[in-house]
Amino acid sequence: MASPPPSPLTTPLSTSAPDLPKSAPPVPILPSQLARIYSVLHPAALLSVFAARFPALVADPVSEMAQQLPILALAHVTYAMICLPPAGSDVSPSAPTSPASTASGSATGTATPSGNVILRPGKVGRRRTRDSAAGAAGASAWGAKLAPALLSLTLTTLLATPTLSILLILFGAPFTTHHVQTLLCAAHMAILSSTALIYVHGVDGPVWKEIWGCKRPGDAVWGGALGTAVGAWLGAVPIPLDWDRPWQAYPITILAGAYLGFVGGTMLGRSLLFGKRLRFDEGEESGKKVD
Amino acid sequence: MVSATSAGPGPERPNLNGSPNTVPAMSSRSPERNEHRKPQVPKALAGGNVQDQYIKGLEREFKFKHLGVLGVLGWILFLHVVGIFFFTKGFLLTRMVLENKSSCEVLPFGDASSVGKKVDGCWHPKSFDKAIVIIIDALRYDFTVPFAPIVGTDSAQLFHDNLPVLYETAVNSPENAFLLPFIADPPTTTLQRLKGLTTGTLPTFIDAGSNFAGTAIDEDNLVAQLRAAGKNLVQLGDDTWHALFPDYFDPDLTRPFDSFNVWDLHTVDNGVTGNLLPLLHPENSTKWDVIFGHYLGVDHAGHRYGPNHPAMAAKLNEMDQVIRDIIAKLDDKTLLVVMGDHGMDSKGDHGGESHDEVDAALWMYSKKRIFGRTSPETVMPPMLAGDRYVPQIDLVPTLSLLLGMPIPFNNLGSPIEEAFIGSNGNDWKNLMTVNRLTAAQIKRYQHEYAATRGADDDQESESMKLWQAAETSWQKLSKIGRSSQANLRSVSESYKEYQRYTLQVCRGLWAKFDVPSMLQGVAVLFAVIVLLVFYARNVKMDRADLTGPLLTLVGAGSAVGVVVGASLSFAGMAEMRVGEASALMAAVGSIVGASWAIFVTSGFLSVPLPRSLWGWLAVTFTVTQSVGFASNSYTIWEDEILLFFLSTFGVLAGVSSMRQKSTADRVLGVYHSILFVILGRLASFSRLCREEQMPFCRSTYYASATSSTSAPWQLAIPFLVALILPTVVRSFYAGSKSYEGAATLWIGMGFRLGLFITSVFWVLEGADDGEWLPLSKETLKSVRVFLAQLVLALAFAAGTTAFIYSKPCISINFSQGNAESESKGKPSAPTQQAGRTTVTILGFGNVHGTRYFLLVVNFCLGIILMQKPMGQGAMGLLLWQILSLLEILDTNALVLGNSAIGPVVLGLLGSFYYFKTGHQATLSSIQWETAFIPLSSVQYPWSPILVILNTFGAQILTAIAVPLTVLWKRPLQLNDQSSSSSKSSNPSIKLLTDVVQAACTYILYFATINLATTMWAGHLRRHLMLYRIFSPRFMMGAAVLGVVDVVLIIFSVAGVRWSTLSVGDIFGW
Repeated sequence: MASPPPSPLTTPLSTSAPDLPKSAPPVPILPSQLARIYSVLHPAALLSVFAARFPALVADPVSEMAQQLPILALAHVTYAMICLPPAGSDVSPSAPTSPASTASGSATGTATPSGNVILRPGKVGRRRTRDSAAGAAGASAWGAKLAPALLSLTLTTLLATPTLSILLILFGAPFTTHHVQTLLCAAHMAILSSTALIYVHGVDGPVWKEIWGCKRPGDAVWGGALGTAVGAWLGAVPIPLDWDRPWQAYPITILAGAYLGFVGGTMLGRSLLFGKRLRFDEGEESGKKVD
Repeated sequence: MVSATSAGPGPERPNLNGSPNTVPAMSSRSPERNEHRKPQVPKALAGGNVQDQYIKGLEREFKFKHLGVLGVLGWILFLHVVGIFFFTKGFLLTRMVLENKSSCEVLPFGDASSVGKKVDGCWHPKSFDKAIVIIIDALRYDFTVPFAPIVGTDSAQLFHDNLPVLYETAVNSPENAFLLPFIADPPTTTLQRLKGLTTGTLPTFIDAGSNFAGTAIDEDNLVAQLRAAGKNLVQLGDDTWHALFPDYFDPDLTRPFDSFNVWDLHTVDNGVTGNLLPLLHPENSTKWDVIFGHYLGVDHAGHRYGPNHPAMAAKLNEMDQVIRDIIAKLDDKTLLVVMGDHGMDSKGDHGGESHDEVDAALWMYSKKRIFGRTSPETVMPPMLAGDRYVPQIDLVPTLSLLLGMPIPFNNLGSPIEEAFIGSNGNDWKNLMTVNRLTAAQIKRYQHEYAATRGADDDQESESMKLWQAAETSWQKLSKIGRSSQANLRSVSESYKEYQRYTLQVCRGLWAKFDVPSMLQGVAVLFAVIVLLVFYARNVKMDRADLTGPLLTLVGAGSAVGVVVGASLSFAGMAEMRVGEASALMAAVGSIVGASWAIFVTSGFLSVPLPRSLWGWLAVTFTVTQSVGFASNSYTIWEDEILLFFLSTFGVLAGVSSMRQKSTADRVLGVYHSILFVILGRLASFSRLCREEQMPFCRSTYYASATSSTSAPWQLAIPFLVALILPTVVRSFYAGSKSYEGAATLWIGMGFRLGLFITSVFWVLEGADDGEWLPLSKETLKSVRVFLAQLVLALAFAAGTTAFIYSKPCISINFSQGNAESESKGKPSAPTQQAGRTTVTILGFGNVHGTRYFLLVVNFCLGIILMQKPMGQGAMGLLLWQILSLLEILDTNALVLGNSAIGPVVLGLLGSFYYFKTGHQATLSSIQWETAFIPLSSVQYPWSPILVILNTFGAQILTAIAVPLTVLWKRPLQLNDQSSSSSKSSNPSIKLLTDVVQAACTYILYFATINLATTMWAGHLRRHLMLYRIFSPRFMMGAAVLGVVDVVLIIFSVAGVRWSTLSVGDIFGW
């Protein structure tokens, strides 16, 4: 989860998609004007607020992180609800006409008979019916978005935050002290990385298997999640230096890295790296070797 | 590659139902875990007499190529040794410490002319009975003289004109005081400076002869001379003095203060002043003879604020007042010396060799009017530190002679003329006498030093000429009897010329880095790395096949090199000894030859870029760590960085495992990845902090931060290891049904027994420390020595024998079929075809790995014995993590892929556990006492080997495990006996090639680290932290590289020979 993806290791989706019938397509930003504007506004706002509050963060990391946490959660859920398709909908760019998306959708539905339990009753059917409606989402759509939003917040708190806390400690965060800092830092990272993922993908088994294997095609959501992780990883670099700066205290640089990484990952994921996948090995999945 | 058809109907017992003939035993990894069983008839059954000859040929080929491969590794070791030697020769300045002491009775000249009257002073009549030596740490010369703008735009800074007393007295009453710039020899750190100021000699990194652990000065020095003369010495302030001169000072009056709290400007200074002034009362004047007062406030103000700060001004003002107070209380018989031990740079730091750092001030004062000036120009103290300066070591002869002491034996300084010329400035006879004394002592020292070094005097022929000239004119003078001032002056100056010339020669010898030699070393080390990169990662040919041409060309190249080097040296064109020149040229020649072999003969050349994320990861780990050694912070926190890297690898391994197609691979891979990360984090709780890590680190390795014995609860760790570790190993064997044959006995019994005895050993050790048992120390010691030797015998004697002779860890069962009688004696083929015998082979899937792993178990046992209880837990975790890593490599298809990540992560593990076994990259963390675990006295060569086993145990264990990265669960591949016997099809050669690749990759990791630490140490050779951080890390890197090379050659790669032969014996070739 924590290595910068060098470009030779990615491969365009176009070559790999036919070989991966199970894979859910990359998630685009919703086509509405509001979504397009807000999807740029949100990362910019995140960064500027973080920069503005940075002195306060350095002065008192715990209270500042705790204060910002609900605001971040709210902002992020709003971003997801405005800009991203909720779990269960299907708004891939070719959705209205392409048979490929139907095929992939049904494949996802059928390939894992038991993997998709929650939020997926009649998913396949609903996808088709919602195809045309997705673009011009009416007021009723907000109701459909609320459930995934709540689910994503719940899972972020209950699963992602503890997992990330444990990971932070495994990477060398203090084990006996600084528990609050670790927990809050993990909570921030969890919101940045997981909220949108859960909102978009629900608890779709095959998709999450892809996520654990870092096999998702690049998009704003996955890019943001991976970027958060890579950024936090790189954020640990300045901590040991003997510059005696107050911002070198434990969670601050990691948090800064996570924010920067999230914004960078989101932007790269929806533009340059859209649809590209992280590959571990040249020979891996031998059918799709691109040289 | 032909995929093996898993013949067995059941997963447990694949029956060998007599395949028509033995299928060419090429096999790819079976997707099914633990079921690598193929219908391959063991050789014992096949018994092919027809092919005996052929099989013998294959075996011979393997043995032959194996020797060749060892030759290549030996050559790499040779290059490393040459490279490190040449760098070290230029970098580690060494000076021998002579134990000789000057004594009052023996004058330095050979002639008896001046022996006699030592009434008031040893070698020279003394001027003072008592002295107060005040060191104001970091008193830069320009703090003491009035501000004088050099350029018009200069303006006074806050540190100017705050300490006028020294200048005022020197100008107003030159007979009472003088002030001079006082130039330090770098490194300008207080400890090194105090050595110079008391011994009169130059600092080097290794003062050979002193012991590493202690800092106490062994050489003859002023403090020791004063003490020997029965003077009562008092020390106030900086406690560094007590590390250098333990027990020299009056315990009742001495007040040491902690010197490390840079933020505290006042505690030390107030302590010194508060204790000093009362001692100057007349009623206390008999209690002491010499007071050394060491103020730290100016230094700390510089470190904290820099010189241009009000706090510095206030501090200097305070010092001014202190000196005035002392002057007021001074009596006639007492000499007052105030000096800085070094200066400070513009930020207030010091340690290097810039002018601001070396320019200190020296001021001497006495109520007696005895100081003088030799000429009117020198009446005023110089305005700039560059004018008329004296080296700091000049204090030693000056102070010695003023106090009537003999000059310390090692002194290289000269008497300061202002102190001996007399108040009229014309007592040249006195000055000549002291110069002659000093010069004679220097000559005596030079002679003794040359004799100890085994060289003869005439090497310094120029200095001998100067000495002879001075002596001749002195003798002329003494024959004449009375002589003019001018003559006396010229003799005095010719002695001084000799002194200064000798000092310059010694500076060249001891204080100058030999940069060309360092560059030669770095170049050789760099060339090895380039060759290794191509040889290990980028050769398309079989490495075993490349061995022939490679070794031939290497041999030819070195032969030419030796000849060229020797003749260059004889011809006098190279300023090196014959041996050195030959070694260097041999290295160069062999590098050229090897380049030819690798780049031309193999006919393949491309940029060696990694081709997978794993490859990139391996490069990233190695390179970022190497780059990080340029920073002292990353060097200090290396253990945390290694944990970070290992966790990164573990998480990525988990991610990669999630991508595996087979469910078993996925589950096992994720499980072992999680296990790997958790074990690493668990091990990280064992730590021994280095001084620089404080206060962000808590030592847990010993009972407390200040002890070096284990806490009672830690004695439970060895028992836990004995209980758990064999079971863990067993579970990994059982995973591939390999817990058979020798493994049951060796792991289940031998290993566990050894670990148990080790636990008992450490309990007895604890009982000895804590005196829990009513047994004498001698009894306990002999019992312990016996137990330890038992474990070592078990691990290395019995273990090696077992490793060489034991069969693979498999179990072959014949079913009770209807034709059991036929299964043995008869020629095989018909029997097999009849299909009546069922052969079940358990442990087939990991036959190479489990067989070789026995060697790792042996070494693990031996190394665990050598660790402290906490370290034993760490080593247990290391073994577990190694096994986990091997499973990760297997489930991610990295074993046969020859990925670089396996050896590199092993290297990371080795480095990481070095720190987890109570070590740091410092000389003081070497656990010398472990040499006495199995011995009662120091015995060569065993004691050094034992210390190495303790110190580099982790790297040794991982080096032993390196071949496993390509052997673990490697499918058994046998030669295609029915097809043509083309050489390339010999699978044991492929195995050998893979092992060499893994070994070279492992070497590459440590070689890169070594090159990086070497280059940084060379580049930062004037860095403040060179002696504390960069030099020790360089030495550690070099030592680790050498140890790893040797272990790989004589144990790891050599061990592959026995394990492969043993497998071949059973399964054929």
